[in-house]
Amino acid sequence: MKDKAVLYLLASVSLITPAIFIVILVHVFYEAMPAATGLGMLLFDSEGIWRPFGQTPSFSILNIILTTVYVALLAVGIAAPIGGMAAIFLNYYTGRRTARITLAFVDLLAGVPSVIYGFIGLLVVVRNFERIFNMSAGESVLAAGVVLSVMLLPYIISTYSESIEKAKSKYDTASMALGISAEYSVLKVIIPITKRGAAAAVVSAFGRASSETIAVMMVIGNAPIFPRLLGRGQTISGLTALEISGAEVGSLHASAIYAANLIMMLTLSVILLTAYLLRRKLLSEYEKI
Amino acid sequence: MKKYKSTLFKAIAWLCGGFVISATLFVFGYILYHGALNITWNFVFDRPRGVPIGTQGGVFPAVTGTVLLGALSGLIAGVLGSITTVFLAFYCRNKYLGGIIRAAVYLLSGMSSILFGLVGYSILLNILGLPRSLLAAGITVAVMILPYITIRVIKLFEEDSAEVLHASLALGVSKTYMLRKLILPNYSINILTSITLGVAYGIGAAAPVMLTGAVLNAPTPQHVTHPFMSLSYHLLILVSEGISLTNAYASAFLLMIILLALNLICRGLEYFKKRGG
Repeated sequence: MKDKAVLYLLASVSLITPAIFIVILVHVFYEAMPAATGLGMLLFDSEGIWRPFGQTPSFSILNIILTTVYVALLAVGIAAPIGGMAAIFLNYYTGRRTARITLAFVDLLAGVPSVIYGFIGLLVVVRNFERIFNMSAGESVLAAGVVLSVMLLPYIISTYSESIEKAKSKYDTASMALGISAEYSVLKVIIPITKRGAAAAVVSAFGRASSETIAVMMVIGNAPIFPRLLGRGQTISGLTALEISGAEVGSLHASAIYAANLIMMLTLSVILLTAYLLRRKLLSEYEKI
Repeated sequence: MKKYKSTLFKAIAWLCGGFVISATLFVFGYILYHGALNITWNFVFDRPRGVPIGTQGGVFPAVTGTVLLGALSGLIAGVLGSITTVFLAFYCRNKYLGGIIRAAVYLLSGMSSILFGLVGYSILLNILGLPRSLLAAGITVAVMILPYITIRVIKLFEEDSAEVLHASLALGVSKTYMLRKLILPNYSINILTSITLGVAYGIGAAAPVMLTGAVLNAPTPQHVTHPFMSLSYHLLILVSEGISLTNAYASAFLLMIILLALNLICRGLEYFKKRGG
C-alpha cells in the first residue's frame, strides 16, 4: 500500500522532465508560428538579409543558419582528428599512469565554462589573428572554429578513448602474439573496428558545437552576413542571446528568432538520436566480438 | 607496413598528444597566471564601483549571487533528478514510460544553453510575470542541469541496481525500506557529488541567466525575487563591453578557482569512494 503511494509519487515527479521538454518544444513552436505563416520561405531567402530594424525590415535567417553549420563543421574538422590521435597517443604511447592523469586533466577542461573560453579566445586567438592575418578586427568564423575546437577536445578524447580501450582489451593479446607493431595494430585493427564509436563521437560533437552560445558569440563578431573563413558571422545561439531581449514580445522579429531556435531544436534532436542509435548498435556489436 | 609510414603515424600521434596536453595546461595556466597577478582581497570583498560600473571595486555580490544561484538550482534539480533516477532504476517496470523519460532526459541534455535562457525568459518573465530575479534564473538553470545530474546518477545506479533490487526482493523487504536503508546511505555521497558537478556546470553558464535574472550591479539578493549578480555574467559583460581587463582577469580567476575546487572535491570524493569499495 505504502509502496504503491511511493510509486505514484516518484512516477509523477519523474514525468516532469518529459513535460519540460514538451513545454519547451510547444512553446518555441507556438512562438515561431507568426514568422512561419507571415514570412514563409522569406525566412530562408538567399537574397534577403537579417535586418530587423530597417525601413523595410527583412528577416532571412539563412546566413545565420549557414554560419552555425560552418562554425560547427570547422570546429569538428579541427578537433576530431587531433582529439582522435590524442586518444590513440594516450592509449599506445604513454604509460597507464600518465594517460590516466592526462585524461583527468582533460576532463577538468570540460568543466571550464564557455565564458572563460570566450575570454581566452578573445585575448589570445582573436588578437593573434589580427597580427598574423593583418586583420583590422580578428573576430571571425575561423576564430570561433578554433576556440570551439578546443572546447570539443575533452569530449572527443574521453569518448574515443573509451572505444579504443574496449577494442584494445579484445585484440591486444592477439596483436602482440602476432608480433605486429603498435602502429600496424592501430591502423589495421583498432581504427576500423572503432569507426562506429568515432562516428557517434563526431556526430554528438557536431551537436555540441552548433549549440554553443557564449564562447562563439564572444569571438565571431556577430554580423549576420554570409559566412567566410576570415569574415565575421553570427550563429543562431548568438543571435538569440543578443537580440531577444530587444525584440518586442509577439513581433515578427521575436518570432523569427524563435523560428531559428525551432530549427536548431529539431536539428539537435535528430543529431542526438543519430548518435544514440550509432552507440546502441555499437553496444550490440561489442557483445558479438 | 612501410617503415616511414609507421614513423609518420607515431609522430602525428605524439604531436596531437602534445598539443592536447599543452592546450590544457595553457587554458588553466593562462587564467591562473594572469588572475593571480590581478586579483586583490579588496576585489573579492568589495562591491563593483566606478563609471562605467565594474571598472573599479570588486565582485563580492557576484560571488554571493553565484553561490545562491547554485544552491537554489542545485536544490531544485537535485531533488527532481535523484527522484527521477530512483524511479527509473528501481520502480519503473513499464518499458515505454521508462523509455520516454530517458529519451526526454537525453534530448534535453543536448539542447543549447541559450534555449533554456530564451524559454525561461519568455515563460517565466513574460507569461508568468516573474521579475528578473534569482528565482527565475534559478529555475532556468535548474532545468538546464536537471538532465546533466540525472544522466550522471543513472550511470551510477546502472552498475548495480539489479543486484540490490533482487537481493532486497529475495529477502522480502519493501522497496521503501530498501531505498531508505540501502540506496540512500550507499549512494548519498555520489548523488551529492553529481548534484554539485551539475551546479558547477550551471553557475559557469552565462547564457541561461543573462536574460532571466543576472544584472551588472546589484547587492546580495535578500529575497528570491530580487535580481542578482553572477560571476560568469559579470565576466561576460566586463569582456564584451571592454569595461576592464584587469577586473576581467580577476573575475575569471575567481570563477575558475570556485569551479576547479568544486570539480576537484567531487572527483576526489568519487575516486576514494570507488577505491574504498
